[in-house]
Amino acid sequence: MKPNDDGAAWSIVGYLLSGLLFWGGVGWAVDHWLHTRYFLLAGLLLGAGAAMYLIWLRIGRKSK
Amino acid sequence: MRSLHLLSASGGGFVPPSSNDFIFPSFFGHSQYATKPILLVFLSVLLISIFFILASRKAAIVPSKLQFAGESLYGFVRNDLGRDIIGHEFMRFVPYLFTLFVFILTNNIFGIVPLLQFPTMSHVSFPYVLAIITFVVFHYIGIRKQGIRKYIKDIMFMPGVPKAAYILLTPIEIATYFITRPLTLALRLFANMFAGHLLLLVFILGGDHLLKGVIGLKLISPFAFAFGIGLTFFEFLVQCLQAYIFTLLTALYIAGALADEH
Repeated sequence: MKPNDDGAAWSIVGYLLSGLLFWGGVGWAVDHWLHTRYFLLAGLLLGAGAAMYLIWLRIGRKSK
Repeated sequence: MRSLHLLSASGGGFVPPSSNDFIFPSFFGHSQYATKPILLVFLSVLLISIFFILASRKAAIVPSKLQFAGESLYGFVRNDLGRDIIGHEFMRFVPYLFTLFVFILTNNIFGIVPLLQFPTMSHVSFPYVLAIITFVVFHYIGIRKQGIRKYIKDIMFMPGVPKAAYILLTPIEIATYFITRPLTLALRLFANMFAGHLLLLVFILGGDHLLKGVIGLKLISPFAFAFGIGLTFFEFLVQCLQAYIFTLLTALYIAGALADEH
């Protein structure tokens, strides 16, 4: 494994974490205000999906 | 479990190691600046200075063992972490990368040096400070190189994406660059050192406790010590690896800040 692949692996973790935290956090906040319970899950899924899209844009597309 | 508890040691039961084992009394009065971790940091600076002064003082074409050791370490950081990742401007950043690597490595290895036996980086403030320095360095370099508007724009807006997607992606990019990156950098180092030290404490203190128990427990004790010794070697690997990863990621962030996306 070359150092740059190592770097890609770490930035993937970073993006996934940020996606989950930000959109999961937004979902949690909406739940908190509206007294619902499903926006947290929706936010987490949205965050994970968006993060994967971003990873594909930043890393997947570049390495072609 | 209870019967085992009664069998072991005279008097009180085993007190499992906890985060309390990471709190040290002050050497002078109540000063927070005179505890073991602080002294270890100063000691590391002293040791590193002495080592590299000795290693480079009588530099010769045919190197002594000491010079060879110093140069291998420097060559590793310069070539594998500097040149291969940052590219043609790498020499400007080698002093920082090298200092970072050697400083973290020395402080980590303190965790398994007899008598010292405490990894400084298992106190979270030290990794925080190092991560803040890296954070400032790579953003400063990016802003200097590309101008603040272009640098921030490059972070926030991926090219070649439908405009609506920015609502989803831009917050993630900002969170990654300004929160997740420095935070994970610091916490990864801290958590590895903290958990490693705790693990060693469990097996060594556990072995010691078993040794004071009845004969049956005394016989088990060597296995706990053997495990502790095995884990010490494993810890050495983790300590080197964590110093490497911290420096590697710093180099990658610097490379990312220098690179023109388009």
